[in-house]
Amino acid sequence: MPRLVYYLAVIAVLAALPFFLASYQGDVYRKMLLWVTLALGYSFLFGIAGQVAFSHFAFYGIGAYGVVILWFKLGVPLPLAVIGAIAVCAVLALVVAIPATRLEGFYLALATLAFAQLLIVVLTEGGEVTGAAAGIQRYALPAIFGVRLTGPYYTAVIVLLLVGTYAILSRLERSWFGRACRAARDNSEAAAAMGVDVARIKVIAFTLTSTLAGAAGIVYAFVDNGVAPTSFDIDKVFTLLFMIVIGGSGRLAGAVVGAVLLYLAPFVLEPYIGHHHPLVYGCIMLAAILFQREGLIGVFDGVRRRFARARPRSMELAA
Amino acid sequence: MSTPLLSVCRLTKRFGGLVAVDALDFELASGEILGLIGPNGAGKTTTFNMIAGAYAPTGGEIRFAGAPIHGLPPHEIARRGIMRTFQHNMPFAGLSIADNVLVGAHTKFRGGIGGILVGTARRDEAEQRRRAEEMIAFVGLGEAVGVPVTALSFGQGRLLEVARALAGEPKVLLFDEPAAGLTPGECERLAGIIRGIAERGIAVLLIEHDMRFLLPLAGRVVVLNFGRKIADGPPEAIRDDPAVVGAYLGDPAAAHAGMRERR
Repeated sequence: MPRLVYYLAVIAVLAALPFFLASYQGDVYRKMLLWVTLALGYSFLFGIAGQVAFSHFAFYGIGAYGVVILWFKLGVPLPLAVIGAIAVCAVLALVVAIPATRLEGFYLALATLAFAQLLIVVLTEGGEVTGAAAGIQRYALPAIFGVRLTGPYYTAVIVLLLVGTYAILSRLERSWFGRACRAARDNSEAAAAMGVDVARIKVIAFTLTSTLAGAAGIVYAFVDNGVAPTSFDIDKVFTLLFMIVIGGSGRLAGAVVGAVLLYLAPFVLEPYIGHHHPLVYGCIMLAAILFQREGLIGVFDGVRRRFARARPRSMELAA
Repeated sequence: MSTPLLSVCRLTKRFGGLVAVDALDFELASGEILGLIGPNGAGKTTTFNMIAGAYAPTGGEIRFAGAPIHGLPPHEIARRGIMRTFQHNMPFAGLSIADNVLVGAHTKFRGGIGGILVGTARRDEAEQRRRAEEMIAFVGLGEAVGVPVTALSFGQGRLLEVARALAGEPKVLLFDEPAAGLTPGECERLAGIIRGIAERGIAVLLIEHDMRFLLPLAGRVVVLNFGRKIADGPPEAIRDDPAVVGAYLGDPAAAHAGMRERR
């Protein structure tokens, strides 16, 4: 029970925050929450399951386009369109995962990168269905009980998505499944000898995290009430990668820290360095790889360990 | 002897023109410690890999509790209750000692992903975690808990291999050269642990190079040379067998004489 109270409190605070922000800041805040959601799933896929896949952002796009095409273009009722878009993501993820997870490291990276690039081509060349380069614009959620879910009110939807994603991933992480994912990542031969069906675990991890990215895409579709191919460009997934590496790969808390910091960095740095923030990203990324492999969360762990060690020693002295 | 738990019948493995294992027969019963020895290239590791599922045999059968298991993938073999250790320690470097052992208990978790999401998997988790602690204490790693696995000594790493395999509650435990790289003290300790495992009713198959480690430990020894069984019997008999001595000292005449005698 206390866990549920904790979750509800977090949801309430995160959802209420934009009412105290200016409209532009609120918009930045909502997009930041979406990045955090994506980073959580990517951290599981890349860090815990050890799959160097670059298709995560593509599934975000598939979710977004999926729901808008089903609902706005084909006239499917919204709840069904949402379920349909999730199903499309899950099926596509499975279709990609079954051959792709048999590939290792570099080859998986190439295959998923090709998939992400293919999606951009399909979206840009999709004519009437995808709205080509301009995408699909000017739709809006219908009012529910007279309330238009836009602006600060829509934040609640994003927060539910974020907290739901976190709850699912943290449960998986602390279970036999998370352990099997890590074991397969560290040594697939030993994992198999312990009874782990490595291929199956990899497919499930890929499909699940990709579907969660798709769900985030569905929610994203109604943030700006417009989708365009440029929103899902191939470079976005590298920003996700920077976020989880700088925050601490394979750690959900690290994904949150990394996503918040890197998403807000350009806004904070803009007055000083204009649009040169990728330069800063690159330097921080290099520093993380060279000096702090466990990312910022690793720094935090180190400090906490030091305190944990210091305490019993001081008690010894007292005794 | 009781009914065999694991039986290997005319097991053969060819790599191109090379016959690595040639029509090998042996049986293993619950609670028994069987040693499989032979000089380098005798086919010990190939036999081991076929039982563990790493290789599919070219011919012959491996039966576990009556059912054929040859050609199954390693994770299926483990699921049926045949676990193994590795000669070169293969810990999961990113996991704690307890989590390493818990991976060994992977097949003991009932309920799928759904159970994790609704929270029913937590009870299994607590139970297996308690059992993992028992296994860690059994092999004598209790003091090291909390140490990162990468900081363990080679000998401790070997003990972790044993605890991890035991966590799967195996009926058969395969040891791939468990004494390799250990100090004499560590060997002695490991021998005690292996005896304890057999006393629990687990069938133990030991692939070993080190005769001084194996002979006092094994109840029965199978000797391989050039992929063929040249001796099978209690350790005392094996020690004095001219074919075995010949195979180890490199006297092909004696080795062949021994083989002919047996056939």
